[in-house]
Amino acid sequence: MIEALFEGLFLVLQWKPLAFMALGILLGFWVGLLPGLGGATTLALMLPFVYAMQPVEAFAFLLGMHAVAATTGDITSVLFGVPGEAASAATILDGHAMAKKGEAGRALGAALASSLIGAIVGAFALAIAIPIVRPLVLTFGSPELFMLAIVGIAFIASLSAPGPRGMLRGFLAGGLGLLCATIGQDPQAGIARYTFDMLYLWQGLDLVAVLVGIFAIPEIIDLAIRRSSIAGSLPAGRISKGAFEGVKDTFRHFWLTIRCSLIGTFIGIMPGMGGTVAQWMAYGHATQSARSAEERKGFGAGDVRGVLGPGAANNSKEGGSLIPTIAFGVPGSTAMAILLGGFFLLGLVPGPDMLTKHLPVTFSMVWTIVIANVVTVLACFLLLDHLAKLTTVRGTLLIPAILVLVFIGSYTSNNHYGDILVTLLFGGIGYLMVIGGWPRAPFVLGLVLGKIAENYLYISVARYEAAWLTRPVVLILFVIALAVIAYPFLQRRKAAHA
Amino acid sequence: MRLVVLLLAAVLPGIALGQYYAGKTVTIIVGYKTGGGYDATARVLARHLPKHIPGKPNVIVQNMPGANSIIAANHAYAVAKPDGLTIATFNRNLPIAQLTKVDGVKFDMTKFAWIGSAATESTILAIRADLPYKSFEELKKADKPIVIGATGPGANTYDFPLLLKEFLGLNLKIVSGYQSSADIMLAIERKEVDGRAGSYSSIVRFIERGLVRPVMRARASEPGIEQLPVDENLAPNARAKAIMALRSAPEVVGRPYVMHPGTPAEHLKTMRGAFAAAIKDPELIAETKKARMELDFVDGDVAVKVMQEVLSQPKDIVEEFSKYVKFGE
Repeated sequence: MIEALFEGLFLVLQWKPLAFMALGILLGFWVGLLPGLGGATTLALMLPFVYAMQPVEAFAFLLGMHAVAATTGDITSVLFGVPGEAASAATILDGHAMAKKGEAGRALGAALASSLIGAIVGAFALAIAIPIVRPLVLTFGSPELFMLAIVGIAFIASLSAPGPRGMLRGFLAGGLGLLCATIGQDPQAGIARYTFDMLYLWQGLDLVAVLVGIFAIPEIIDLAIRRSSIAGSLPAGRISKGAFEGVKDTFRHFWLTIRCSLIGTFIGIMPGMGGTVAQWMAYGHATQSARSAEERKGFGAGDVRGVLGPGAANNSKEGGSLIPTIAFGVPGSTAMAILLGGFFLLGLVPGPDMLTKHLPVTFSMVWTIVIANVVTVLACFLLLDHLAKLTTVRGTLLIPAILVLVFIGSYTSNNHYGDILVTLLFGGIGYLMVIGGWPRAPFVLGLVLGKIAENYLYISVARYEAAWLTRPVVLILFVIALAVIAYPFLQRRKAAHA
Repeated sequence: MRLVVLLLAAVLPGIALGQYYAGKTVTIIVGYKTGGGYDATARVLARHLPKHIPGKPNVIVQNMPGANSIIAANHAYAVAKPDGLTIATFNRNLPIAQLTKVDGVKFDMTKFAWIGSAATESTILAIRADLPYKSFEELKKADKPIVIGATGPGANTYDFPLLLKEFLGLNLKIVSGYQSSADIMLAIERKEVDGRAGSYSSIVRFIERGLVRPVMRARASEPGIEQLPVDENLAPNARAKAIMALRSAPEVVGRPYVMHPGTPAEHLKTMRGAFAAAIKDPELIAETKKARMELDFVDGDVAVKVMQEVLSQPKDIVEEFSKYVKFGE
C-alpha cells in the first residue's frame, strides 16, 4: 500500500510526465481564467494528443490541466463576483465581500492556500481510504444518496440568517430553488414541467447560467451605482499586503480547513452528487463555526472562513471524484467522462484492477493533482498582488470587461441565446434578493440538490417501497440531517445562556 | 517562365477540378454537450475527414445541445446555409419525435440531404451474471420480478424493456430516474437492480468484466451479439411486431449525419464519399479500435429508406406506439 503510494510518486517525478504536466497546467491556467472555454471542452480538444503518450504522462497532462482550472476559477469569483466555473460560486459570498472591503489579496491568499491544503488532504484521505473505497461506494445505494441530498438541503438552516424571520426567508429561498430544479422533462413519465413550450427549457435550467446571473449581475449593478472601484475608495497600499495574511488565516482556522477538505473528498467519492454540492455543504459547515449571532452575521459580509471552507472542498473533491471513474468506470462529471475516454485510449480498463494491480498508476493520478495544485498556487502567489490591484480600478472601466466575462461565460453553457436570458432573469432575481435581504445560498442549494433528491427518492420508493427507510446508513444520515437543522438553534440558546 | 508554368501547374488542378472545399471550414454540429458518444464520434471524424475531402478543408466540431437534439436538427434544416459546409449529427430517435408530433419539431427527416450514418447502435438487454437466467425461456419463467434500471422514457434503457414486458410478457419491473447509463451500471454492481438495457457499445466492457450477461437484442446487430434472440422475432402478433420494429428501426442509423435539404447534389456526393473513405481509413480504425468505438458507414440512401419506413406507418400503429414510447434523450 505505502509502497504503491511512493511508486506512484516516482512515476510522476520523471522528466517526461513533469513536462507534460507543466504544459497541462499552463493550458488549464488560461482556460480557468478565461470564460468561454470550459474545462470539459478543453479536455475533449486535448484528448487526441494523448494517443502517443504513456498512461502516466497522459494523465499528468490531462489531470494537471483539469486540477488547475478548479483553482483559478476561484480567482474571478473573489475579484469580480463572477464564478469561473459552477463549482467555484460559493467562494463569491465572502470572497467578493472581502474584496469590497479592500481585502482582495487576503481573500485570494486564503482561497489559494485552502485549495492547496484541500488538494493535499484530499489526496491523503484517498490514499488511506483506497482499501475500503469499493465497499464504501457500494454501500451508498439510491436511498443513501437521497438521504445525503437531504443532509445537504438541511444546511439551509445554517445558511439562513438567524431568527424566525431569517429562517423563514432561508427556507422560502430554498423552496424556490427546489421548484426551479423541477423545470424540464421529468425522468419518470417524460412529462415536460414548466417549459412553457420552449425547447430550451427541456433540459432544465443550466446551472452555470443561473449562478453567473444570480451572483455576478447584482455585483455589477452595485458597482455601477456606487460609481467607485470594487474596493471603494481605500488606498491601494492597504490591499497588496493581504495575500500572506490569507495564508495565515488558513492556519488560524486549520481544523476547519481540514474538516471542509474531508467533506469535499467524501462528496467527491459519491457518484452522482457533483462538485457544486461539496462546495456549498462546506460553506454551510463553515458558517456553523460562528460562535455567536454577531459572528454569524459576518458571514456573507466578508468572513475569511467563508472563503476557506469552499476553497478547501473545491480541490479536495477532485481526488475523490477520480474514484467512481477509476474503480467503477462511472464518471461523476463531464470532465471525468472525457477522462474515462482517455483511459480506454491508453488501454487501461477502469474497474477493481485499478485499485490493486494498477494501484501505482492510480496513485500517480492523485499525486498529479497534488503537484499541479502546489505549482499553481505558487505561481498564483507571484501574480496575486497584481491581480488584487484590479479591485482599485475605477468601476466604469471594469464593468464592460466583467460583462463580457459574464455573458460569454453563460453563453458557452449551451451556445444558445436562452443562456443569456436565464442569466439576465436570475440576475434580476438575485438583485432583488440582495436588496430585500434574502439569502441566495439556500436557493442555490435547493437548485443543485432538487433533481438529485427527486430522482433518488423515486428510485428508492419504486425499488424498495417503504423498506428503504430502515436501512442503517439511511437512519444515520437522518440523524445527521436532524443535527444539522438543530445546530444553529442549539448554538443560539447556548449563546443566550452565556 | 518555367517558374510560372510550374506555379500554374501546382495551383491550376485545384481550381480546374473545382475543388470547392479548398481553404474552407466545414462545421459538424453536434446536438449534445461534450462528453458523450455522439460528440466523441464527431470528433474522431473531424480529425480524419479532411484527408478524404478534395481540397482538404478544416473540419471543426460545434456543440449545440438542447431538447434532445431538436434544436440542432431545426438549425440544420432551416437556419444553416445549403452550402455543404454545415453537417449536423443528432439523436437517432428524431424520426420518432416527428412521428409522434412532438412540439417544436420543425424538420422533415426524409428531406434532409442524408450523408448517412457513421455507426449502427444495437440495443441489448443485459442482466447480472450471478442471476440464474441464461436464456429468453428461463427469463420468461422468472417468478420474481427482474428489476431493470433505466434513465427515463424515450431512452432505449426504458423503451426496450417496456416493450419486452408489455408484449413478450417478461416479468420485469422498470425503475427509472438514473442520471446516466453509467449510473445504472453502478446500481447493478451494488445489486440495487438486476439488469439494464442499452446500446451494446456502452455495455460491452461490463460484459467482458463478467458483471452482466447479454440475453436479448433488438433488430440491429453487431459482431459479438448476432446469436442473441431478437425481440420482434418473438412477438406474439403482427401488431406487437410492428411496434417493436418501429422502436428499433432508427438504430440502423445510429449516428446520423445530414446536411441542409437544399444542399447541391455534388457536395452531398463528395461528403458521402469522404465519410465512406474516412471510416475505412486505417488510421481512424486504429484509433477507434483503441477507444472501442465501432464505426460502420451506412449510406445516405439507406438512411432515407429507414426514415420513410418509420414515417409511413399506418395511423393505428402510430397511436398504439405512442401509448408506450415517448420521444426523449
